[in-house]
Amino acid sequence: MNKTLFLKEWKTNWKLLILFMAVLTLYAGIIIMMFDPKLGESLNLMAESMPQLFAAFGMMHVGSTLVEFIANYLYGFLLIAFPVVLILLLGHRLLTRYIDSGSMAWLLSAGISRKKILMTQLFFFLFTILLLNGYLTGLILLLSEFFFPDELDLICYFRLAAGLLALHGFLAALCFFCVCCFADTRFADGAGAALIIASLLLQMLSQVGDQFEFLRYLTLLTLFDPQKLLSDPAGALWGPLILLFTAGGLSSMAVHLFVKKDLSL
Amino acid sequence: MSVIQIQNLTKDYGQSRGIFNISFTIEKGETVGFLGPNGAGKTTTLRHLLGFIRPDHGTVQIQGLDCFEHAAAITRKVGYLPGEISLINELTALDFITFMARLKGIQDLRLAHELMEYFDLQADGKILRMSKGTKQKIGLVVAMMQDPEILILDEPTSGLDPLMQNRFIELIRKKKQEGTTILLSSHMFEEVERTCDRAIIIRSGRIAAMEEMQKLRQNRPKTYIIDFGCEQDAASFQKNHAKAIKEGRQVSLSISGSPQELIQELSGLFIEDLSVQPQSLEELFMHFYGEHDHE
Repeated sequence: MNKTLFLKEWKTNWKLLILFMAVLTLYAGIIIMMFDPKLGESLNLMAESMPQLFAAFGMMHVGSTLVEFIANYLYGFLLIAFPVVLILLLGHRLLTRYIDSGSMAWLLSAGISRKKILMTQLFFFLFTILLLNGYLTGLILLLSEFFFPDELDLICYFRLAAGLLALHGFLAALCFFCVCCFADTRFADGAGAALIIASLLLQMLSQVGDQFEFLRYLTLLTLFDPQKLLSDPAGALWGPLILLFTAGGLSSMAVHLFVKKDLSL
Repeated sequence: MSVIQIQNLTKDYGQSRGIFNISFTIEKGETVGFLGPNGAGKTTTLRHLLGFIRPDHGTVQIQGLDCFEHAAAITRKVGYLPGEISLINELTALDFITFMARLKGIQDLRLAHELMEYFDLQADGKILRMSKGTKQKIGLVVAMMQDPEILILDEPTSGLDPLMQNRFIELIRKKKQEGTTILLSSHMFEEVERTCDRAIIIRSGRIAAMEEMQKLRQNRPKTYIIDFGCEQDAASFQKNHAKAIKEGRQVSLSISGSPQELIQELSGLFIEDLSVQPQSLEELFMHFYGEHDHE
């Protein structure tokens, strides 16, 4: 890893991270404050009246405990969809933009190997994702303890948080892999975004009803299942582990492709 | 051993685009101009030297090292200025120069500051709002600030005003005296003429000529535009020169080598004005290789 490049990326990207943290703080705060075990019954009634809509956003099982409520309303969709936007933006800013504009020529002509440049960008990407997840985990924990002391099942909650981190890591690696796959940067950005957005849509569709359930097998997002992480921790942990393993594989392939790639800078 | 060695380099992008069977060497301390019109293949060749792209065929080496496989080791010794200046827009010029210096492992920024002063570079503004010429100056500072033993500069004076172009040429002459090996690409003959020992001329992806600058200079035709005092003189002058083109009292004549004979011929006549038109690279090609070959 190159420290100078890492610090430069921090200098130019920290505001973006803060922006996403601020937006997610707002959402997380509002949703946690909405928790009320008695409200669960009325929400369940509402979900039953619009089952497909609630199911599409992964909010079918409201649950009676705080951790079930968080798993449903935050980890089911919001904490996946919003960070996806950050991941796509970072993928563009950390790699595609350098190649597209030609400024990668400066990095490559500074006596640093391609491998080191890509590893630094990847490390920064994962570091940002880690910071965001660390912040969200701490924030939700603090808000839960503040509004509903001792209500949160900590072990279940940390399982959820670890699963989400694995999913974000996988999406970041997928984004980098797509950029390194294509010679044309328009396709590079587009392919990553299309794959990730298509995965999200497939997951939403697969939750709508039985006739679309087969779609869950077409996306790796299925491997992060918040409900299963609560109900069947031993079985559900395999999903995040596979996501992490795949992220590692995609990252290695991204480095390999980038090192061999023709860059018309 | 040659510092830069390219042998049978081919990169075929299809539809006759690319570079084909390029071979040349550059010795230590040589200053070589890489001349060619836009799209001739200059930048593609230089990209191979920096290890940005891999050859389809042939070898590209700097100091005996393969440029793609050992790009990091090579770029530590090379100062490079890309043809398309694309800096990191969100930084200020000074931040960018400092960032690049740290990336290159330069501890002492004195040379960078000297170069900024030499090129009159105001480095405190955001790059995003800077002109093409100012960005070019930043690029030149970054390329030269580690005092590299090899300089590869792609269209280095693009966007610079005449004063800065002259300063750049002076700097290149100084570097040449210090023993730096320099390869600079250009589509302007004058720029190469004033700085280089030798010129490599590329056209449609193929090497058209490699000549010592002295020989190119001697053989290079120049167009003299003569305004005669009366039309009769202009007409009689044209009769003596089959290639002369007459428009009223003005006659244009292209000749190679010394203008001694022309001056002698004109000495007895009343001349209102005499000017020399620099020849474009296209015209130079036509002179050297004939119009048919040029097409």
